[in-house]
Amino acid sequence: MNEIRGPLSLLCELTYRCNLQCPYCYNPINLGRASEELNLEKWLEVIDQACALGIRQIGFSGGEPTLRALDLIALTKRATEHGAYTNLITQGTFLDEALLESLIAVGLAHVQISIQAPERELAALIAGTDVYDRKLDALRLVARKEVALTLNYVLHRLNHDTLPDALAFAEREGIRRVEIANVQFYGWAYRNRAALMPTREQVARGVEIVTQARERLRGKMEIIYVLPDYFEEFPKPCMHGWAQLAMTVAPDGRILPCPAATAITTLTFPNARTSSLHEAWHHSPSFTAYRGTGWMPEPCRSCERKEVDWGGCRCQAFLLTGDAGATDPVCVKSERHDIVTTLRETGPHAAWAPRRPDNAAR
Amino acid sequence: MSSGSRRLARGVRFRRDPDGSALLLVPEGIVSLNETAAVILELLDGARDDDEIVALLAKRYDEPHATLARDAHALLAEFSLRGLITQ
Repeated sequence: MNEIRGPLSLLCELTYRCNLQCPYCYNPINLGRASEELNLEKWLEVIDQACALGIRQIGFSGGEPTLRALDLIALTKRATEHGAYTNLITQGTFLDEALLESLIAVGLAHVQISIQAPERELAALIAGTDVYDRKLDALRLVARKEVALTLNYVLHRLNHDTLPDALAFAEREGIRRVEIANVQFYGWAYRNRAALMPTREQVARGVEIVTQARERLRGKMEIIYVLPDYFEEFPKPCMHGWAQLAMTVAPDGRILPCPAATAITTLTFPNARTSSLHEAWHHSPSFTAYRGTGWMPEPCRSCERKEVDWGGCRCQAFLLTGDAGATDPVCVKSERHDIVTTLRETGPHAAWAPRRPDNAAR
Repeated sequence: MSSGSRRLARGVRFRRDPDGSALLLVPEGIVSLNETAAVILELLDGARDDDEIVALLAKRYDEPHATLARDAHALLAEFSLRGLITQ
């Protein structure tokens, strides 16, 4: 058993509500109900407990966290008072100057804004609504203020060919930190993966484009890019290992080792309404189940990469094999690797289910 | 090497923990600092230039001025390159 360190980061998913309908969203396809959301008082306790546990990075996400604007300000203030670093992960459509000023005044350090495409029509097709101007306004607003800005662009089959345009867009807007995030297949994205899976050619070209852009923009723009793991030989070291560095609290209070973990229906997660974060981290069977290397089956158990990959992703293992304790099938050593090689052979264009309450599973 | 005043880049926060250890907190990341780096970064206030920082270090530490200057310049150059500090 590895030594248990404290977590360093917490993601607070304030709500699953969102005004956009992106098919690549990793939120669960059961979107929950607003009435189930933790109230401000409880969220403040979550922040207090997280900081007492040694957490130094706090992210506010969702859904769209700015739909709880006043709570967001109060929580940012509390986290800053504890000396934590605060990240707002938003799609930007409600981020006006008054809200941003209020957040900066209470210590907000970093804003990440996502775009769906670097041009209006495609962005509207993906988001299900035209919010291009509002996003552009938000990006330009944040870029002027005393706060770090990251542009987040989730790549998938529908927008992959616009990667050069997205980088040119970022350069034109003077954005210094860009995260090119390949779609990960959880929640809505898992449901819509036939429409979203990039082609092998798209992936290969993406690697080339990013490599060249990094070279050309050295010192001007930092580009964070990770290969889509379905196309790699070894799995991603998801969350740097299950319950090793990070935790998430879902809108309904469930305390999770990662934002996608509710997909694993064989685990029961503690809830912040009845459990402290300390108790969850150190003693919850859902956190200890896959921590470290003791749980690993073969081929992980005797693999020299076991403390590099940490067995890959538990959610992916569960979604693809039905067993959260299996080797991630992305790994070429997995006996179920055929599942991944089949999935990544893309067929003709497929329809997708927009992320909307009327499409949500109940 | 001498240059204008420097400060932490946007969204980069310096933190000292109760046990005295020092960190830089950055978007989605944590950079551990050794004590030399911590002391130098604490002196960045957006007004002092590199030479003034070295002069302050010389008052505090019993090291040859040239050694302090070399260490400080190397560290400031590295942190600049990494985008953690800015002019």
